[in-house]
Amino acid sequence: MTRSQPPSRDSAPPRRGARTHQITAEGRSRAWRRHHRQMALDSLGRLRRRPLSTLLTMLAIAIAMVLPATLWLALGSAQLLDANLDDSARMTLYLDQGLSESQAMAVAERARAEAGVAGTELITAAAGLAEFQQRLGMEDALAMIDDNPLPATVLVQPQSRDPQAAQALAERLGAIDGVEEARLDMAWLERLRQLGELGRRIVLVFGVLFGLGVLLVVGNTIRLAVESRREEIEVVTLIGATHAFVRRPFLYVGAWYGLGGGLLALALLTLGRGWLSAPINAIAQSFGSRFELPGIGPGGSLLLLLVSTLLGLIGAWLAVGRHLAEIRPR
Amino acid sequence: MIEFEHVGKRYGGRFEALADVGFAVERGEMVFLTGHSGAGKSSVLRLLMLLERPSRGRISVAGHDITRLHVSQIPFYRRQIGVVYQNHQLLHDRSIFDNVALPLIIRGAAPQEARNRVHAALDRVGLLHREKALPIELSGGEQQRVGIARAVVARPALLLADEPTGNLDPQLSADIMRLFEDFNRVGTTVLLASHDLALIARLRHRVLRLREGRLVADEEAA
Repeated sequence: MTRSQPPSRDSAPPRRGARTHQITAEGRSRAWRRHHRQMALDSLGRLRRRPLSTLLTMLAIAIAMVLPATLWLALGSAQLLDANLDDSARMTLYLDQGLSESQAMAVAERARAEAGVAGTELITAAAGLAEFQQRLGMEDALAMIDDNPLPATVLVQPQSRDPQAAQALAERLGAIDGVEEARLDMAWLERLRQLGELGRRIVLVFGVLFGLGVLLVVGNTIRLAVESRREEIEVVTLIGATHAFVRRPFLYVGAWYGLGGGLLALALLTLGRGWLSAPINAIAQSFGSRFELPGIGPGGSLLLLLVSTLLGLIGAWLAVGRHLAEIRPR
Repeated sequence: MIEFEHVGKRYGGRFEALADVGFAVERGEMVFLTGHSGAGKSSVLRLLMLLERPSRGRISVAGHDITRLHVSQIPFYRRQIGVVYQNHQLLHDRSIFDNVALPLIIRGAAPQEARNRVHAALDRVGLLHREKALPIELSGGEQQRVGIARAVVARPALLLADEPTGNLDPQLSADIMRLFEDFNRVGTTVLLASHDLALIARLRHRVLRLREGRLVADEEAA
């Protein structure tokens, strides 16, 4: 096919030599951006013309997003707990009852000098009692006891996290004069770590399952949209539309569904948090502590929107791709 | 412009729609493809539009072998040919203007230039005044003219038509044929499938006659 000079802008009928259309690279990228803009708005318009079905689809996506997001948040708060636990990977040396403050300090010094110890903190019997009273609000009950029933304690921060090394260290520390007992609750720690791992895997499984759910919801909706515009797809394909061109409006529809579903999911999460926070605060207060339900935060919100939009996009891609494969020449 | 060499097409491994068809159409020619329904006219056009691939043989258009064209290249190939369909293939939820503009939008033409070209094409087929109408508001003959305007709006070097006058009365058919002749006169190669033998005889162009999938006659223009 001959490619003659670029087409003139006049409105004359085709002249001899039947010119074909020629478009510069710059013009093509401008046209590409124009088409994207048009399709983004056009697809949004299509969704707005059918508000109920659009809302229902987005709601289905939102619900599918909320459960894994909630689990993820729950895991986040469990990890908060875990961070505190790292702190309590410390060992506690319970000193003999009746050691004087200077004797206790000497024991702490000796423990500090032991190999594999990163740091020590001495809590004298008096300080321990004071903290105990403050934490439990039991001043009255304890005031009735004459002698301080608490031993002085030394908190030891081991250098290594290795359970075996910690065990060996605990044995050596326990042998120091004036140390009644060196306690290291490894089994408990290990159990908690396993629970954390279990939680992570559960979130992963639910995340994948519900992510697939979003794909199916979007895919099926887009499949119906493709079906209703089958004629249009056929016509534009006949006159030379690329697959990308055919796909574009549907990808935008899918992305809008995903984004809308993500926003709804955020709204549901916020509502749910508000709904739960009052009783949880009340429970926490009754234990004399404060507990804040973890929010999703700006980073988490962004991630949620990104994931839901991406899922919408992929769902649409798969649905249109199936149809495009059907109409290729045989 | 078009070259068929020993082209065969089977459907489902049994039914032979075309068998050993060979012909050549020169650049700037206007050729009729005729035969009873089922003779293979539509198959020839479908192969040329790359809606189907031949089971055997070679087809080249403008010197390029299209039988091995990669799927991703097909859209760009189709942009080089204008096609007029018996059932028009218009989009019924779009105005006449939008329908004719479609090939230009697919090519990414600038809006101002597209507008000029659409107006020129509609003017050519005498429907400039109906640009805002929907296809449903037009008569069959008018819809066919819209289809023709869409086929030529991007000024293709090759124009294919599948029974373009199939549903029209003789007067309208003659009008439509005159349009094709006009485009042919300015250099467009035209290949028209039609079984309207009376019309074909009057127009005195070259005729390729198919029967049961075989080319049985190649009658030069009178």
